[in-house]
Amino acid sequence: MIWLGATVGVPLAMLLACVLPGVRYRMTNWLALAAVPGLGAALFASGASLDLPPLLLRLRLSLDGPGALLLGAAALLWIAGGVYAAAWLRGDARRGRIAVWWLLTLAGSLGVFIAADLVSFYLLFSMVSLAAYGLVIEGATPDALRVGLIYVALAIFGEALLLMGFVMLAVSAPDGASLIRDVVAALPASPRSNAILTLIILGFGVKLGMVPFHVWMPITYRTAPVPAAAVLSGAAVKAGVIGLIRFLPSGVALPGWGQVLVVLGFISAFYGVLAGVRQSDPRTVLAFSSVSQMGVVIAVFGMGLIAGDTGVALAAAFYGVHHTLVKGGLFLGVGLAPLAGAWRNRLVLVPAAIMALGMAGLPLTGGFLAKLAIKPVLGDGLAGLLGTVSSAATALLMTHFLFRVAALPKAAPAPPPGRDLRWPWLAVAVASVLVPWGLYPAVLGGSVTYALSASSLWRSLWPVLVGGGLGFAMQRWGGSVILVRDSNVIVPVSARVDRIMIGLGIAVERFDIVLREWPVAMLSLIAMAVALAVLMLAPI
Amino acid sequence: MIAAPALLVLAIMAPATGVVLAFAFGGRAAEWIAIATTVAGAAIAAGIAATLWSTGLPLRYVIGDWAPPLGIALRADGLSAIMLLTSAVVMGAVVLFARETFAQRPGAPETRTPLIFWTMLMGVWAGLNAVWLAGDLFTLYVALELLTFSAVPLVSLEGKPETLVAALRYMLFALVGSVLYLLGCALLYGGYGTLDLELLAHAVRAEPVTVLAAALMTAGLAAKTALFPLHLWLPPAHAGAPAAASALLSALVVKGSFILIVRLWFDALPGVAGAGAATLLAAMGAAAIICGSIVALRQARLKLMIAYSTVAQIGYLFFLFPLAGAAGHWSRIAWTGGMMQLVAHAVAKAAMFLAAGLIGEALGHDRIAGFAGLGRALPVVMLAFGLAGMSLMGLPPSGGFVAKAMLLTASVGEGQWWWAVVILIGGLLAAGYTFRVLAPALAGGPVPLVAPIPRSRQAIVLGLAVCALLLGLVPLRPSQLLEVGRPVAMAVSR
Repeated sequence: MIWLGATVGVPLAMLLACVLPGVRYRMTNWLALAAVPGLGAALFASGASLDLPPLLLRLRLSLDGPGALLLGAAALLWIAGGVYAAAWLRGDARRGRIAVWWLLTLAGSLGVFIAADLVSFYLLFSMVSLAAYGLVIEGATPDALRVGLIYVALAIFGEALLLMGFVMLAVSAPDGASLIRDVVAALPASPRSNAILTLIILGFGVKLGMVPFHVWMPITYRTAPVPAAAVLSGAAVKAGVIGLIRFLPSGVALPGWGQVLVVLGFISAFYGVLAGVRQSDPRTVLAFSSVSQMGVVIAVFGMGLIAGDTGVALAAAFYGVHHTLVKGGLFLGVGLAPLAGAWRNRLVLVPAAIMALGMAGLPLTGGFLAKLAIKPVLGDGLAGLLGTVSSAATALLMTHFLFRVAALPKAAPAPPPGRDLRWPWLAVAVASVLVPWGLYPAVLGGSVTYALSASSLWRSLWPVLVGGGLGFAMQRWGGSVILVRDSNVIVPVSARVDRIMIGLGIAVERFDIVLREWPVAMLSLIAMAVALAVLMLAPI
Repeated sequence: MIAAPALLVLAIMAPATGVVLAFAFGGRAAEWIAIATTVAGAAIAAGIAATLWSTGLPLRYVIGDWAPPLGIALRADGLSAIMLLTSAVVMGAVVLFARETFAQRPGAPETRTPLIFWTMLMGVWAGLNAVWLAGDLFTLYVALELLTFSAVPLVSLEGKPETLVAALRYMLFALVGSVLYLLGCALLYGGYGTLDLELLAHAVRAEPVTVLAAALMTAGLAAKTALFPLHLWLPPAHAGAPAAASALLSALVVKGSFILIVRLWFDALPGVAGAGAATLLAAMGAAAIICGSIVALRQARLKLMIAYSTVAQIGYLFFLFPLAGAAGHWSRIAWTGGMMQLVAHAVAKAAMFLAAGLIGEALGHDRIAGFAGLGRALPVVMLAFGLAGMSLMGLPPSGGFVAKAMLLTASVGEGQWWWAVVILIGGLLAAGYTFRVLAPALAGGPVPLVAPIPRSRQAIVLGLAVCALLLGLVPLRPSQLLEVGRPVAMAVSR
């Protein structure tokens, strides 16, 4: 299918065109086009697959239901983000470089949803993770370089875990299997299944900001330029969601592992809120909300794994669709808020309030449907209760977020770029409601009448009221209790880690100097010859 | 039409003739003789590889029709073909790159340095091709000496005191290695009356004399390969040489003695070494990866950092012995993976050293601390450096990724997962030292350059880096070409 090839091919072709400096500096104007084939694929190519010409490697792209959901939402956000970036970066000296990293990240971000074999998945996953480094270090903050370093160190660490997991999967699979579907089918029976699942959960956990691997998220989203933070937080992070969809066994109950995921997921879900309400920068608040929301998704996967439920992939993907649009959209809104002048309330805060509280399940929003979709998976037991509490917690965090946006200093009355930022922002805001309503009956087979019944509306509304009320109360009376301050903890911590590593490095260096002295080297040589002879004579 | 086996002789004779002609015709002609040799050498390598690929059989040429053990046989298997091709590609890039550095300016009086560079370059190539093709241990000894004695002058080309010290250090340590190797040869000749690889393979028994010979020869060759902790000579020698020479030394010369160990263990003395010795070699390789990478991270100068990276990357090669030592599927994966590491490292490291050379020329120094803004001043060079670094880290798509994925697969498949852990840690550390250069280069305003760098030279470096990238398209399964003529009886299993 041409759409699948174009999803990755078009952004890469545009990237290649950036070799010409003249094109590179104008490329920001066309960034939105790069994601159009991805949207086309999501709409028209679901169920298709494409074997890339078997030149040497055999790569396969294919699109299934959950993949199409996430791909479509991500492509929408990348398009809106592209339009936003064109206005945001007008006249910016960095725009050429940002375009290059943008396209590379985009190709990987959309590509992971359609990669069907191990090698292309790993390739595209690495692409989205590592190219994002370029976007992070283009940020304006003075510590952008260090933030980039922390980000890339964790990303590469996560990838090393995944590579090991993938290799073990391939080794355990029937001979010659390279499709993810086939190797994962062989996973439950593998003698290495525990090691593989550990590696995969940790590897994708880094991407999803699973506590304690979340440390990169708040600093990265605060540092990256606004449009980049939007696509990274909305679209790029979903590489972890599709990873869990693809690599966790489906239809096989693994209760032990399911419980581990549920616990890890809810730890993230609540930690994100508790840490988030202490932040003053609205972008950092949003980042902690991502930690929390991805925690909920992890818990959903856990419940699916406990029951051996095959429907969990679609539910999680649907939840992901909403989160993609809302989280990406809110970042666009935060960028616009200081520039919106007198229109801030109507133009930014009202849509932002609908989206933000939607994440907590505010009735009639897209998030309301997202919560409905995962409700049957979480069930009525403890997990269901924790899910409801986390909704209330999200409402609390989002109320805090809205106050922080309202408190942003106002810039001079909207200059023209500020005006051009409105349309992509409003488009994503509208899509975050309409898209879930369109997909819920059509793709998920959900009943709209059930959704609109009084009982389900109320079940969704009261956690928002409770959480939102708490949020208001905290703003009104607990301002000093919240102790608003920025979470810059990780940067000094990483500096401390640096010092330890430097100490270790110096020790190894000294050791190396000793080894490189003539007498020591000659002794090593003799010792090696003797050891070899002894080992050869006396086989172990 | 030349008969295919005669190509084996030509592969050695072409650069050897180049050495003689360059001495005879002197300075200005040397450069053009080297270029002509490069073209011829590449064609010969391609011809040999194509023949092996199409027939699936190794080539053999018996010199003067005197069959071994009396005469000398040259032999090309899949491994030889791959190494011939790799040498041709790296040589081609180095020759094109060096034209600017070692040109004899018209009108100016002839200088000695270019003449020595071009002749020694061809000497190195003749030695390398002889190592890839020789069929007996004594010819291999001669080839190795030719290689070493052509490489030493390249180290001291600039004539500065510290490079002379480095060259002397290199030569002395290599000499010790040679002595051990020669001692082993003598023992084997005394024991079996032949040094031919194939004849030895049929005759050897695991008795004390054979074992002693194998141990001495392996240790000697490990010294020449700079296997940790026998690497005292490598960092100063590779960092002190001019960039074009460093690329050659790091990419190819250290691989010569490594291939000799492979020939010894797998071809000449199958079944002698045993699993314990193979584990010892791999453990030294693991120490090389960890310590070499950490020390690379500590270097303040770019070329020293790259040299220590070579110390580390050599370590991966030695995983071949425990992983490819037994028969079976995983061993074939490890064989291809190990050789892929050899090729990918050769190409990527050559690209990195050449990039470092251009950076040094452009800035007038190679202190990493002064690299801020280099990405904007030399974008193509930094791109090439980054791509080469990608291969060293083992990120897809790159030859380094294919190599590491296959070595990982083999170590998991054979249940020797500890090597896999070291491979992964090595990848993280390689990412560390690559980003240490890239991060400041990508940030900050443009730095002033002391010398402009012509685009053509930047293109050569980028081309080499792109080759490292394209190697990533090699499929993750045992390579057909590498299997050609591979001995079925394996080294380690008894």
